[in-house]
Amino acid sequence: MAAVSLNNVVKKFGTMSVVHGASLEVADGEFVVFVGPSGCGKSTLLRMIAGLEDISAGEIVIGGRVVNDVEPAERGIAMVFQSYALYPHMTVEQNLSFGLRMNGNDKADTQRRVSRAADILRISELMHRRPRQLSGGQRQRVAIGRAIVRNPQVFLFDEPLSNLDAELRVQMRVEIARLHKELGVTMIYVTHDQTEAMTLADKIVVLRAGNIEQIGRPLDLYDDPNNQFVAGFVGSPRMNFMAGTVVENSSSVVTVKLANQGGALLRKPLGGPLPAIGAAVVLGVRPEHFGLAGRGDSDITVKVDVAEHLGSTSYVYANAGGGEELVIEREESRHEASLDRMTVSLRATHTYLFDSAGLRLR
Amino acid sequence: MRLRTRTAYAFLTPYLLVFLTFWIWPIANSFWLSFLNTRSANWTFNPRMTWGRLLVDPAFANALWNTLLILVIQVPVMIALATVLAVLLNSPILKARGLFRFAFFAPVVVGEVAYAAMFRLLFNEFGIINKLLVATGLASIPWLSDPNAAMAVIIIALTWRWAGYNAIIILAGLQSIPEDVYEAATLDGVSKVRQFFYITLPLLKPVIVLCVVISVIGTMQLFSEPFLITNRGGPGQATETLGLFLYRQGFGAFNFGYASAIAYTITALAVAISLLNLWLGKERE
Repeated sequence: MAAVSLNNVVKKFGTMSVVHGASLEVADGEFVVFVGPSGCGKSTLLRMIAGLEDISAGEIVIGGRVVNDVEPAERGIAMVFQSYALYPHMTVEQNLSFGLRMNGNDKADTQRRVSRAADILRISELMHRRPRQLSGGQRQRVAIGRAIVRNPQVFLFDEPLSNLDAELRVQMRVEIARLHKELGVTMIYVTHDQTEAMTLADKIVVLRAGNIEQIGRPLDLYDDPNNQFVAGFVGSPRMNFMAGTVVENSSSVVTVKLANQGGALLRKPLGGPLPAIGAAVVLGVRPEHFGLAGRGDSDITVKVDVAEHLGSTSYVYANAGGGEELVIEREESRHEASLDRMTVSLRATHTYLFDSAGLRLR
Repeated sequence: MRLRTRTAYAFLTPYLLVFLTFWIWPIANSFWLSFLNTRSANWTFNPRMTWGRLLVDPAFANALWNTLLILVIQVPVMIALATVLAVLLNSPILKARGLFRFAFFAPVVVGEVAYAAMFRLLFNEFGIINKLLVATGLASIPWLSDPNAAMAVIIIALTWRWAGYNAIIILAGLQSIPEDVYEAATLDGVSKVRQFFYITLPLLKPVIVLCVVISVIGTMQLFSEPFLITNRGGPGQATETLGLFLYRQGFGAFNFGYASAIAYTITALAVAISLLNLWLGKERE
């Protein structure tokens, strides 16, 4: 087992920089998830830790050892690929044992490790099949098994569930969480799916365009995002954003006018420096934070477009005519969702204010 | 018959007529011919003059031996060379890749006569090959008048002409192997050389078998090179192949019955060897 740290890691392809100096500490035994949209550099970062990509600048440390120039096989890591990357011409057993056999590992030990991995992943009855005779979920297990037999200090997962159907994805997600608990090994996991990130991670690293936007525990990111990107990326359905203008700022309180929501005014106390009058800001509200009419600090009335009833909750897709679509979560009063128009309230403490650059105003 | 079906057949009829006349009929007729004594004015049924002769004719044995010799030496050498070429052409560090791919494929599009003439010049007694040999202190070789050397010229020419073609086919196979399989092997600590032998080669097996089968069929019918380069299978009959022997019997001696029997033998051998290859290349559970 080992801790991993990245110090100012940079990756350039030619003159194009794709990771601009990432620094990060992963504690021993921690489950860290890199999350972000396509092309944000999360996979590149993982591949640099694996040694499949060179590092243009900076330093990667695994288990107290700088591994910049260490061969991938010597880094004490194992990786599970998105496409599984199984050896198509080998049986499951040969897939699991290939690396050990090629490195002259003791036969009995290889056998022992392979059957242990097979037991953990419950694939013992598949040992003599070839990858093409397996289902997606089974292939994924074999790919994980191939990582387990290496007894790695760090597991790396590169979008391991994205080729599976929704149901299997949930099932494998639980399996991976179980595996982490059982093995207690450091795991670094890349995904673009924020649900996977929220459910699996001890710590989430949100990336955008080669920069780390925020690092934190899942609920900390959810409750206290540093910027509009993180606020929008974490949470499903995503946070609603409403354009606003500062119309008053005095004694640690700003008043924001929501132009697209019928000019509703919301007074929000802030701890830091106040934005100037006339400054454009963005107000963020999570779907579950819309209250009943008259019960908050400000009311807005919206036209209901569509309502989705999921049983315990309903999602109302609504707009106030200004082009801003809002998603409103309702747990009770289902009838409300069948209305043409509805009025909901905003509570200042359950809103997030961002400046025009997307940075959070606290 | 439904109208639609009839219309379809009506459209197909011209083709089917041509196909029957120029494909099926000759194939069927030559089979019948292969049982006839065509050396007399009246062709009579006499398989001993055709199929029987195959078993005892030293000229046929010679042609068969020559063909199999070329097959056994040239095909493996060429396929091995093509595999190496394909790996080199696939290398990410190769510059001007498109140019190289074209260059290695180009021999296939060169006309047979032109390429044969080039090889005759190259391996001429005073050709550039001998000049080079002498310049490096070696003895010059009578390429086209020594039986073994002439055979070598045929093999070299065939390899030059077809190695690039096979390399391109194998290259396509190489490119269908996903990169991440190699990355997984790298993480497993498997060296590049071992990756080639334990991953690349096994995964290329179907493509290589295909190349071998195509090459076997081509070699069994080999005609142009010995006809053009070594001047009709010379010296003597040292490079006479089955294809050339068939030609000599059919269109030199006008012994169509015997030539037909040879043609069927060539086909049967090609089918048999190809089936053997496919069987050997089959994946076993």
